[in-house]
Amino acid sequence: MIKRYMSVGVLMLTLLSSSVIFAAQPQAWKIVPEQSKLTFTATQNNAPISGEFKTFTGDIHFDPAQLASSNVRIVVDMTSVDVSYKEALDALKGADWFNVKLFPQAIFKASNFTKTGDNTYQANGTLTIRDKSSPITLTFIIDEYTKTGARAHGSTMLKRAVFGVGQGEWAKTDVVKDDVEVKFTLTGSTK
Amino acid sequence: MLPIKNTTKRYGIVGMSLHWGMSVLILAMLAVGLYMTGLPASPLRFKLYGWHKEFGILILMLVAIRLGWRLSGVIPPLDGLPWWQKLAAHGSHLALYGFMFAMPITGWLTSSAAGFQVSFFGLFLLPDFIGPNEHWRVLLSQTHEWLGYGLIATICAHVGAALHHHFFVKDDILRRMLP
Repeated sequence: MIKRYMSVGVLMLTLLSSSVIFAAQPQAWKIVPEQSKLTFTATQNNAPISGEFKTFTGDIHFDPAQLASSNVRIVVDMTSVDVSYKEALDALKGADWFNVKLFPQAIFKASNFTKTGDNTYQANGTLTIRDKSSPITLTFIIDEYTKTGARAHGSTMLKRAVFGVGQGEWAKTDVVKDDVEVKFTLTGSTK
Repeated sequence: MLPIKNTTKRYGIVGMSLHWGMSVLILAMLAVGLYMTGLPASPLRFKLYGWHKEFGILILMLVAIRLGWRLSGVIPPLDGLPWWQKLAAHGSHLALYGFMFAMPITGWLTSSAAGFQVSFFGLFLLPDFIGPNEHWRVLLSQTHEWLGYGLIATICAHVGAALHHHFFVKDDILRRMLP
């Protein structure tokens, strides 16, 4: 009798533990900052001008084999924005552009991933810059994927006006175009 | 009828067009350059900088053509002038050509050093011969500014001499450059 209860107990434990495994989040990745990069390229007077965000963090749960349950949340420190010309940098940080005092973070959240090719994927998510959120689609390529390390790079095209980046007379898009390309390289580690 | 090429008596159509066309462009560039640098960060400032760079490159192209044209033809000689006036005239012409090359080149490099690549009227992008560098940006922009003051001074001497010859000496120095 006792033996029978015991075996039922073992069976239940087994089921329980396996259900825990099935419900597990995909692999969690830590961003390796020195091997990750987030840059943007805007167009002023018909010529490209680039900059970067030096600091960003994120919760990344991603597994190409478990796309349905993969999810990412990237937090960009807007005060870490950098462009080569100081006067332009001051303007970018100011009220008309990113207003980093009032909106120190930009956040990208995505839980909808699609495989589009051998190593290519799409992430449909929501980007929040300043106080505006909008759906965006990232395309990215996984360059490396092992048990302990992974690297991906990708890009997206944004409309700065959607996020209110460029207020007042800057809202016009003749001098600084509306389209901004954002590129990233993400290196993740499990440790 | 006006000759196309210069003769020993006067400047031809090509030389005159380049001279007067570029003089209008250069005076406008100097005015815009002095004005735009004092503006606060604004779309107007951006737009003026954009135009200043595009027209500056246009001037660089034109001066290359102009120098080639000048070297391939004759220049009406400055006969009958005292030696020191000839020397001053040749010296200031040489200086003006130097400025016409040095101004666009230092401006272009300043823009590259600031990290602003330059588009030529949306037709093509200029290469950056130096990367973004604050030290070089400051040095080049100051050089550009001082060259500008030098150019203004040289233009004043050039115009002053031409008017002096026309109204006081009453010779044909200026008329050789007029239709």
